[in-house]
Amino acid sequence: MSEASKDQYYVPHLAQWPIVGSIGLTVTFLGAIQALNSETSITPWMMFVGIGILLWMMFGWFGDVIKESEEKLYNTQVDTSFRMGMIWFIFSEVMFFAAFFGALFYARTFSVPWLGGEGTGLATNEVLYPGYEGVWPTNGPGELNGRFEIIDPYHLPLVNTMLLLASSVTITIAHHALRANQRSQTIFWLIATVVLGAVFIFFQAEEYVLAYQEFNLKLNSGIYGSTFFMLTGFHGFHVTLGAIMIAIITVRVIKGHFKPESHFGFEAVAWYWHFVDVVWLGLFIFVYIL
Amino acid sequence: MKYLIVIILLFIIFSLGSAMFYLVKGQGKSQNTVRFLTVRVALSVVLFLFIILAAKMGWIEPNQPVFMKP
Amino acid sequence: MSQDITPNEMNHAEVAHGHDHHDHDHKPKGFVKRWLMTTNHKDIGTLYLIFAFAMFIIGGAMAMIIRLELFQPGLQFVEPDFFNQMTTMHALIMVFGAVMPAFVGLANWMIPLMIGAPDMALPRMNNWSFWILPFAFTMLLSTLFMPGGAPAGGWTMYPPLVLQGGHNVGFLVFAVHMMGISSIMGAINVIATIMNMRAPNVGYLNMPLFVWTWLITAFLLIAVMPVLAGAVTMLLTDRYFDTSFFSAAGGGDPVLFQHIFWFFGHPEVYIMILPAFGIVSEIIPTFARKPLFGYVSMVYATAAIAFLSFIVWAHHMFSVGMPLGGELYFMYATMMIAVPTGVKIFNWVATMWKGSMTFETPMLFSLAFVILFTIGGFSGVMMALAPVDLQYHDTYFIVAHFHYVLVTGAVFGIIAGAYYWLPKWSGHMYNERLGKIHFWWSTISVNVLFFPQHFLGLAGMPRRIPDYSTQFAEFNMWSSIGGFAFGLAQVFFIYVVWKTVKGGEKATAEVWPGAKGLEWTVPSPAPHHTFEEFGPVDLDKMAHGKDH
Repeated sequence: MSEASKDQYYVPHLAQWPIVGSIGLTVTFLGAIQALNSETSITPWMMFVGIGILLWMMFGWFGDVIKESEEKLYNTQVDTSFRMGMIWFIFSEVMFFAAFFGALFYARTFSVPWLGGEGTGLATNEVLYPGYEGVWPTNGPGELNGRFEIIDPYHLPLVNTMLLLASSVTITIAHHALRANQRSQTIFWLIATVVLGAVFIFFQAEEYVLAYQEFNLKLNSGIYGSTFFMLTGFHGFHVTLGAIMIAIITVRVIKGHFKPESHFGFEAVAWYWHFVDVVWLGLFIFVYIL
Repeated sequence: MKYLIVIILLFIIFSLGSAMFYLVKGQGKSQNTVRFLTVRVALSVVLFLFIILAAKMGWIEPNQPVFMKP
Repeated sequence: MSQDITPNEMNHAEVAHGHDHHDHDHKPKGFVKRWLMTTNHKDIGTLYLIFAFAMFIIGGAMAMIIRLELFQPGLQFVEPDFFNQMTTMHALIMVFGAVMPAFVGLANWMIPLMIGAPDMALPRMNNWSFWILPFAFTMLLSTLFMPGGAPAGGWTMYPPLVLQGGHNVGFLVFAVHMMGISSIMGAINVIATIMNMRAPNVGYLNMPLFVWTWLITAFLLIAVMPVLAGAVTMLLTDRYFDTSFFSAAGGGDPVLFQHIFWFFGHPEVYIMILPAFGIVSEIIPTFARKPLFGYVSMVYATAAIAFLSFIVWAHHMFSVGMPLGGELYFMYATMMIAVPTGVKIFNWVATMWKGSMTFETPMLFSLAFVILFTIGGFSGVMMALAPVDLQYHDTYFIVAHFHYVLVTGAVFGIIAGAYYWLPKWSGHMYNERLGKIHFWWSTISVNVLFFPQHFLGLAGMPRRIPDYSTQFAEFNMWSSIGGFAFGLAQVFFIYVVWKTVKGGEKATAEVWPGAKGLEWTVPSPAPHHTFEEFGPVDLDKMAHGKDH
């Protein structure tokens, strides 16, 4: 912290990126709606344009912040604001995942057994869906999309769990290395983390191909397919984001950013990666195994 | 066995949360964030090994690997 | 960007205690820079308030159409489907477009002033929180002009009905996503500001109650807006990708949506009332000339209400079918909320007890708030009784209940706050006579509007239906007359505010003699930048700065 900014809370005076972000968000969503509502399947060019605008905004916005940070415009109090912003953002992510986990638990403990005639569902079962047993996994009494098989948890998912766990170990090693100011070590382990994350995403894509082509397990395979793909899909999306962020952090470390005693950007991304890994453990346990 | 897995998972989430707490509190100077993150990674590895062991020993039954139409 | 602040200029800003410095306002020049790219909490607060009021008028116009159609039995003016679009859009716009942004606007304006902070903690994100909203509501409102029209399945978006909305489902879902993003970012900003930006000698239990209620509200927002996002995402995939979250044929359950929605929805109704509690708790001590009675208990009561709001959601679903144990649990848990709410109401009354009260417009609105919100609270306790609720469910009784809570509660709170702080924002006193006319006009008409709806509901008139049996004709006519009068009163409010902003008696820094709070230590109108350097503030100026 330089002398000039020590007691001054840095307040930027103009922000040109938010309005770009709003336009990007709107174009993205309108493009998505256009594609969704179209009678024939079309390439959602408009959505891609919107995502492009959003990416432009993110690079510009974060670029400004990184520049200001390296110019020592931020004092510890600004730093704390960023930390708080980050943790409460992640808390909101937790709640977003909670909604989908909630749907999974509700389906497994309530709606599927009820449809199978348990509790007050007896009449429903006998009148509407006679013969439906309500065993998980299920595509419901309507047997939507026909017979399907599920992914064996002890093949690809097991490998994926190992990959992601290993990536958490590597990023922790990188974290320790950064604190000890061993920069080449840090860079090495960060690159290892990105590679492991990328392989995870690749295998996850492989698993989806397998599910669709071999097992006939699709998004429309009843409640099992719905919860399976939405949970793993949103998780995969977050892994992708996390891997991109770690890649950016790696570049920053190579450029000489961050100090052993002040490296909030690093810690935030590392924490995000840990969060994504823990969500995966939850998925592995509740979606694949139990 | 199922419950043991869930309990370990809760411990993992707790240490992750503690790391988050110290991320704000510690201002990047204290050791606590990285320490709790290390704990959480270690716990996760333990849990993972335990799941493999439990599956091998037949303590937990996986979901029906192949779903048959009734 | 933002290189226009040099160390030299900073030195001018010796305003740690908010002394006048009109000469160094540094307002950015030009419309785009001043409003579109602003990072100033006061400008963003103004934007929020103007936006919220515009939405209030649009949503109010929809309410006028509803009341027009219900003026007489039979179908006179609009098609039933358009009527349903009006009820749905009226609610969505009032909840997400008017009440919530108005509170965020007040938070933006007042929280930094009340705790001695130079600005919100994350000023750029603050700008984005606001500038998402106009886009989101343009998207939502555009559905009115599309083939198939706007969403018509009710603001609660229950499947399967809402999924039959055709092309508007995508617009609805993504607009809600954008509102959610905006609210979450706004809430994060409020939390970071309150926890990190207080003047060094201001502790948590020195904070004004408005700040306290907003802190708790922000936690609620961050906890539940993502859940709503999840719920509407499931709607989207059910509609467009054939998932089965809410379809029994695939093993899902439409009731699942109601559980997820109300897990969001119940905290949401407290999100819309807690900041109003805060505003009233600021105003009553000022005009009763007594410190707030039971400050600490007010804080704990607010926290208790927030906690309880997470565990009572299914009282919105008593008639949907639930195990008996569930009905009993949700009934008792719901009634428990009356305890901390009662603490608050008794504390307000005790604050006024033996005070030397005067009745300026903000105080009048606050008094109306206490009385009329309590009516809404009582009808809430009535509906908390599961066996009785089966009778009230989806009748005009619930409509009367939540309008008493939201209009005479939240909206009256906002209007009270607007009158209370308008001199601080504009530098002019509003015209007291016009303010009093606005108050009596609003308060009488709002009761003519909503009180008969209790009777209609008890007699069995269902909500969201454009036609009704002739036995309900008289009360509906009264209600409509009250509705038109109330709508007109708010147009009059525009005039009062406009007149105040344009000119009028100059306001002093203190505005209200004897009022406590750091916002009254800065000049009126509040300079563009206040409390630019962190430093201890004068705790004697704060209502709860010393012991309580």
